[in-house]
Amino acid sequence: MSWLTPDYLMNWSIIAYLAAAIAAVIFYGRPHLCTLLAQSGCIIASVLGAASAFSMLLTGREKLIISQLETSIPFISIDLTLDALSAFFILILSILVCCVSIYSFGYIKHYHGKRNVSAFHILYIGFILSMFFVFSAGNAVFFFISWEIMTVISYFLVVFESEQDGNEKAGLIYIVMTHIGAAFLMIAFMIMFVFTRSFDIFGSSDAIPDFAKNLMFIFFLIGFGVKAGVVPVHIWLPYAHPAAPSNVSALMSGIMIKTAIYGLIRFVLCYLNIQDTWWGILILCIGILSAVLGVAYALMEHDIKRLLAFHSVENIGIILIGLGISFVAFAQNNGFLGSLALAASLLHTFNHTLFKGGLFLGAGSIQYAAHTRDIEKLGGLIKKMPVTAVLVLCFSLAISAIVPFNGFVSEWLTYQSLFTVIVPGQTGINIISILSIAALAMSGALAAACFVKLFGISFLGKARSEYALSANEVPASMNVGMGILAAFCLTIGIFPMFFLKLIDKVVFNISGIIVTGELQGGFLMAWYPVSVSGNSITPSAIFIASAIILICAAAVIRLIGGKASNRKYGTWDCGFGELTPRMQYTATGFTKPLRIVLRILYRPGRALKTEEGDSSYFPVSQKYSVWTEPVFEKYVYGPVLTNVKKFSLRVKLSVQTGSTHAYLVYIFITVLALMLYNRLT
Amino acid sequence: MENYYDLLSVLILLSSFVLVANKKTNAYIKTFRIQSAFIALTAGIMGWSSAVNEGKYDILIVCAIIVALKVIYIPHLLNKTYGNIEYRIEKDFFLNIPILIIICCGLVVFSYFSVSNIGTLTGFHINHQVVNSFSVVLIGFFFMISRKKAIGQIIGYLVIENGIFVTAMFSTHGMPFIVDIGIFIDMITAVMIMGIMVTRINVKFESINIDKLSKLKG
Repeated sequence: MSWLTPDYLMNWSIIAYLAAAIAAVIFYGRPHLCTLLAQSGCIIASVLGAASAFSMLLTGREKLIISQLETSIPFISIDLTLDALSAFFILILSILVCCVSIYSFGYIKHYHGKRNVSAFHILYIGFILSMFFVFSAGNAVFFFISWEIMTVISYFLVVFESEQDGNEKAGLIYIVMTHIGAAFLMIAFMIMFVFTRSFDIFGSSDAIPDFAKNLMFIFFLIGFGVKAGVVPVHIWLPYAHPAAPSNVSALMSGIMIKTAIYGLIRFVLCYLNIQDTWWGILILCIGILSAVLGVAYALMEHDIKRLLAFHSVENIGIILIGLGISFVAFAQNNGFLGSLALAASLLHTFNHTLFKGGLFLGAGSIQYAAHTRDIEKLGGLIKKMPVTAVLVLCFSLAISAIVPFNGFVSEWLTYQSLFTVIVPGQTGINIISILSIAALAMSGALAAACFVKLFGISFLGKARSEYALSANEVPASMNVGMGILAAFCLTIGIFPMFFLKLIDKVVFNISGIIVTGELQGGFLMAWYPVSVSGNSITPSAIFIASAIILICAAAVIRLIGGKASNRKYGTWDCGFGELTPRMQYTATGFTKPLRIVLRILYRPGRALKTEEGDSSYFPVSQKYSVWTEPVFEKYVYGPVLTNVKKFSLRVKLSVQTGSTHAYLVYIFITVLALMLYNRLT
Repeated sequence: MENYYDLLSVLILLSSFVLVANKKTNAYIKTFRIQSAFIALTAGIMGWSSAVNEGKYDILIVCAIIVALKVIYIPHLLNKTYGNIEYRIEKDFFLNIPILIIICCGLVVFSYFSVSNIGTLTGFHINHQVVNSFSVVLIGFFFMISRKKAIGQIIGYLVIENGIFVTAMFSTHGMPFIVDIGIFIDMITAVMIMGIMVTRINVKFESINIDKLSKLKG
């Protein structure tokens, strides 16, 4: 069965992507056909890619070279190599791309006739392919090139709706931040080459001295951290994600920021081999900070996509917590715990891809139907768009880590690894892990509150504006795309063992230890209990139990209450007259208690502006505004930017005077200095 | 033969000191003409000796070109350009002459210090001709900096060119002919362009004082 081998499928997948791009170019003038061909091409390609990655994972091969094309330029070769880790990330990339492409059939319709759809498809496919190459790159140079292509293409996608205010600024912040990160990555790769004389990712790092390894770790952390959007370098996320078209932000948040997680595992864990405990602790601390601050800022956002962007920061934090523990454990030679935490973090990566991708698609549906992203202007959408509402509810439950959805499984595993880290005799790590348990719990609770707000305000109640009133259900293809993701969320939640076994192959490939053996599987592949610290849980049992309880409760109510009759009548309005949408709970009002509790973080302010009328008892109008301070932008980035600007201006005025003599003097001094240098050396 | 070369290199260096000491702008061109004449003489002696000893005539041709270009044509061209511009007496330098001379002495010492150890050029003993001619390059550059008017920059550039040419000649005793020709063509183009530019600057700013160019800054 040669046609089922991973490399064969992988090649066909790449060819299918390229064919889709070419189709998009050919049918430039016919947007409908262009969309149809390009997106179906993507779906076929992603199915092939997923099949390839899946068979790669199942067969458990060590390493598979797909293609190695040498070019005439030194060090640059197109080198596609798969191992279990790459295959896993390609699998989640392909699943997400498949769903997003199905969704795009409908979503792209609102561009038809208004924008260059063909260009969009080419960028979209290029973006997917570049991520594909990032995951499968076999040498650091090709990795870096793919990484930069990914950054640049995603920049163009961010500014695609260029006529809207703020998109240009969003794109600028994004490209500046990620390029700073890329610079650090480049330095790290150069250090790698200086000591090993090779750019091979799968090579050995034994030749690198300890000091250089520490330096490389720090650079990798900054470089990948910017892409992942960890606090305090997260500021591009809340700008770039809302600016991009929704299917692109689903890809960006769903999988692009995970390329950083891939990079951290690939380079820090596999290549550098964790050398010190403090590496893991640093990552753990960054993870805690991101998890708590990300969700805290998400709570204050009323723009759906900005809110989701901050949730990406939170979830990257949770993934990094798992990764941090795993690094700590590997540094202490505790292979099992390291593998468990790594599996938890990989599973959460997978889960986050599914539900965050889904949530961004849901936000896209809301924007598509209601033409606004402001939660305060929505309301009552559940009656207009019932299918979308149910799907968004599923994703909200999943991201809030509620049984029986997948978010619960991975967060539970993360908790378990945090508990297991605590052993008597190592005070520092114990305290940190206890604190991170608390932080994780807090971020979970705040996330739940945030999604109660998101769902409650936008889907329940009465319509708050004309936008919400005029909304209609979105095209079926959009709901199908989201539906597949929701099905995955539910399946992983109920049958986690199957997916954990897949991840186990990845972990086994890295650490040589099988985790699932210790997690006692059994009934329906779903018992999933752990003897790690005496805790055990089985989501499928909870699912079955809750289903039984629901049925029983319904039966009991029916038995006791008898047949009830419905009577439709307006809500009692206390005799004031008609109830209006303005009497409903608002998103601002809903989060007020938290704003007061966490005011040290938000530094909230409020102002009441009154326009006086004839008498002070009858003002013409009153405007009440509430705001929170963007602390990082104001106190970290603001001063840095001002100083850089001041310095540049001063340099411009003092060095770049415009006087020919000054320039001649510069050249003269340079010549003299070079002569002196020549003499002295 | 070396004695003639030593003498001429010192004379060339001296002429660049004279140039720095010049006060009036139209004296620059005269000094440049004298310096070029010395260079032509050097090339003539060198060409004569190579014609006698090795039977090669290319350095003599170079000498003829120097006479034609640097002694006759370019000074004439500059005079013509300068004649188009309204003559105005103003202080043309930033620092006064004695200070300029002292700095130029410093430059000669510096070039002695930095060039004297270049082994490939000098062998074991110090080649004073190269030191002198290299000083001419630095002094020409310094002359460009010290003068305000564009004519000073042009002459300074030509003196740098002279210095480089003489340095090459003293250190190799005759470069490949094609290189010499290339240098001359470059120089003539540069002078023509600068002549046009000076006229344009004068039209635009009613002065050839290049300090005013800083108004062009955005």
